Amino acid sequence: MTAKTKTKPKSKYLKQYEEQMNMCIRCAYCFEKCPVIKEMQWDTDGARGKVIMSYGLLTGDLEPSQYIADKLFRCTFCRDCMDRCPSKLEILEIFANARAELVDAGFASDTQKYIIENIKKTGNIYGDAEVISQNQDGDIPLFIGCQYLGRPNKTKKYIKILEKLGIKPKIVDEICCGFPMEVLGFKEDYEEHKTKFKKMFPAKNAIAFCPTCTVFLKEGHEIKAKHVLEVILEKLPNANLDMKVTYHDPCDFSRGLKIIEEPRQILNKLGVEIVEMKNSKENSRCCGGGGGILMTDQELSNDIAKKRIYEALETGTDTIVTSCPTCETTLKKAAQEVSESEGKTISVRSIEDIIWKGLK
Amino acid sequence: MKVDIEELKKFVGKDNVRDNIADLYVYSSDASVHSSKPDVVVRPGSIKEVQDIMRYANKNKIPVIPRGAGSGMSGQTVPLSGGIILDMKHMDKIIEIRPEDVLCKVEPGVINDELNRILQPYGFFFPPTPSSGRICTIGGMIGTNASGVRSVKYGATRDAVIGMKVVLANGDLVTLGSNTKVDSSGYQLAKLMVGSEGTLGIVVEATLQISPLPKYRSMGVANFSALEDAGKMISETIAAGVIPSMLELMDNVAITAVNNAQNLGLPDVAAIVIFECNGMLKEAVEYDMGRIKEICKKNNGTGIRVSDDPDEMTRIYEGRKKLFPSLSRYKEGLYTTALADDMAVPMSKIADAVHKIHEIADKNNVVMSAYGHCGAGLIHTKILMDTTRESQWQGAKKAVKEVYNYVHLIGGTTSGEHGIGFSKGPSFKEEKKDSLEMMRSIKKSLDPNNILNPHKLMDSPDDWLTATPLRYQVNNK
Repeated sequence: MTAKTKTKPKSKYLKQYEEQMNMCIRCAYCFEKCPVIKEMQWDTDGARGKVIMSYGLLTGDLEPSQYIADKLFRCTFCRDCMDRCPSKLEILEIFANARAELVDAGFASDTQKYIIENIKKTGNIYGDAEVISQNQDGDIPLFIGCQYLGRPNKTKKYIKILEKLGIKPKIVDEICCGFPMEVLGFKEDYEEHKTKFKKMFPAKNAIAFCPTCTVFLKEGHEIKAKHVLEVILEKLPNANLDMKVTYHDPCDFSRGLKIIEEPRQILNKLGVEIVEMKNSKENSRCCGGGGGILMTDQELSNDIAKKRIYEALETGTDTIVTSCPTCETTLKKAAQEVSESEGKTISVRSIEDIIWKGLK
Repeated sequence: MKVDIEELKKFVGKDNVRDNIADLYVYSSDASVHSSKPDVVVRPGSIKEVQDIMRYANKNKIPVIPRGAGSGMSGQTVPLSGGIILDMKHMDKIIEIRPEDVLCKVEPGVINDELNRILQPYGFFFPPTPSSGRICTIGGMIGTNASGVRSVKYGATRDAVIGMKVVLANGDLVTLGSNTKVDSSGYQLAKLMVGSEGTLGIVVEATLQISPLPKYRSMGVANFSALEDAGKMISETIAAGVIPSMLELMDNVAITAVNNAQNLGLPDVAAIVIFECNGMLKEAVEYDMGRIKEICKKNNGTGIRVSDDPDEMTRIYEGRKKLFPSLSRYKEGLYTTALADDMAVPMSKIADAVHKIHEIADKNNVVMSAYGHCGAGLIHTKILMDTTRESQWQGAKKAVKEVYNYVHLIGGTTSGEHGIGFSKGPSFKEEKKDSLEMMRSIKKSLDPNNILNPHKLMDSPDDWLTATPLRYQVNNK
């Protein structure tokens, strides 16, 4: 028989996923909605291709290279492939560990290194020591997260919403949850950061603003975290905003946290009619902004975001509402470009804006 | 002959040519057990580009292997001696839909489910329903003559393809078949292309017969404590003139796998049969379902349930739907391999074949499940084994040979819907030994330089296990 002849595998991180990768039956079901392969149309850019490359790195069939790094970092971590995988592989963990192999081999980009250094130096992705929370005592620990800390007005608005509903969040000094380190493959940095994080944020239960942070508090730090929308829904009074919008499910919301109906119930309570897009709820199409892809390929990210804007425009509504700051940013940029180039206009708004309006 | 990458870039543009080792590694395998790298991957976007590539390849005697989603299970898109992989996914236009003629024309890269999504508002669908429909391309379906759960009523891809445009090995473009359901105008060359696995030409356009969407459907399930009874139920149903739109069997290994992995609590019986009828008239469908129920009862079927409620139908089909993923989670350390995966046997021999498959698996220390579209005589198996162990591969090799020997003995055929590639080459050549030279003559007349997907079908290696390196790492005895 012709067994593969191997050089001694150099894998440090991927070895633990050997069994998972052997379970990949290479059926390509992960192609179905993968936003990256839909744009690129090469097998190498789909989840199966990335699993195969990861296997090659494990077995020694492939040597780490910039080309492979470019491919493996070109993923939005939208989780769609995991939902479609018949073998239920932990695909994103495989990718994160393959990225770690590549980072170890010296194939991290300057931008990626810059972000990680920022977190190490200042505790946030911006590298700005002034980006800090306004601490206060309260009933339930709140994790604000880098994306919101960097947008103080949004943060204030969200906190006011909570307080108006009788929820007093406890705010303490915080540092980044560490998700960027984990997802970009800076494993050793993350392990160090994790210890620091636990000391600063020892909570067992928490609420969080950012969907990605919420997922990572649960999966990375084993904190019983809830997204704020879950608690807001319980207390929100009815209103009559008389709006018609479409709702974009952030990937970490609908596929990560499995929060699908809550934001819809909130909007409905506020008198907002929702017209669903062709791909919504657990089948929601990615905004193109996740997984660190903005640092690897902004053009691709923008192309993916534009596809989502076109889907939103098909609903005939003039507003797309979302509940993730990254989705909001990428969709706003794409909407602006579609508006300028094609004259088709749709406004992108955060769900907290709508809630704030409803509470006024 | 070394492939001139720059020359290929002139035909399709530099963005449509890839030769990085990582790309070649990814394109070296499909859903089969095989692995062997091409020299380059090229993505044509038009018929002219395919013609240019073929003229270049033919002149320089370079192998060309067409590929759709790369979801084939037998190694059809794995190159044995390098060459050019033609990734056809870029040619994905639906050219026209003619409901009045009950046909549509599509490029080969169109995805099966996407075609059905487009056809739905017209009230039509493309009947072959492979389980990979969400990602597989029409070109790939033509290459393997794919079918699926509804083949019992609607047949396979060959039955739905009535015409096509094909680029031949020398770059010439030919139009085959017609736009009509019937065609007595000489050799049926379009039908010949279906199932030829890219060995005779590159399909660049297909004319497909479409069917009206049924307005009503109903599904049922029955349990059997003896495989023989399930087998009789299946053959008696077909022989009675009932035409179900689905007639699926799950054996006890399959049931156990689903229960272990999904905790669905399916009954621990020898076999479960799921049946479905569809049509335009509720009364007609109910009449046929009633007849199937009677046949189930006559053959000692128990726990018979029939429903037209969508939720209940989903529940009935859940075990079958989750079978494929369950096999991957059957037992720790056992991995699903696409081997001996789609034989077809005469309807009356289904129970015998399933018994024999279990016996052979036990003897060779591997696990084999049997399930599939038994209403069409098709039995799916997968070999579950520790792919890291050489002894398991040797056991699998023996099991594959013994299974096919038995299938041939009872008048069955090697492949019902996945095609031959490398994995089934030895058994296929044994089964078709009388007609191999005829096939080679056809191949030689159309492809004298043997550049179109060489080493497949009648020219496949005699030992599938050594045909190419395995895509798995085998490092234990």
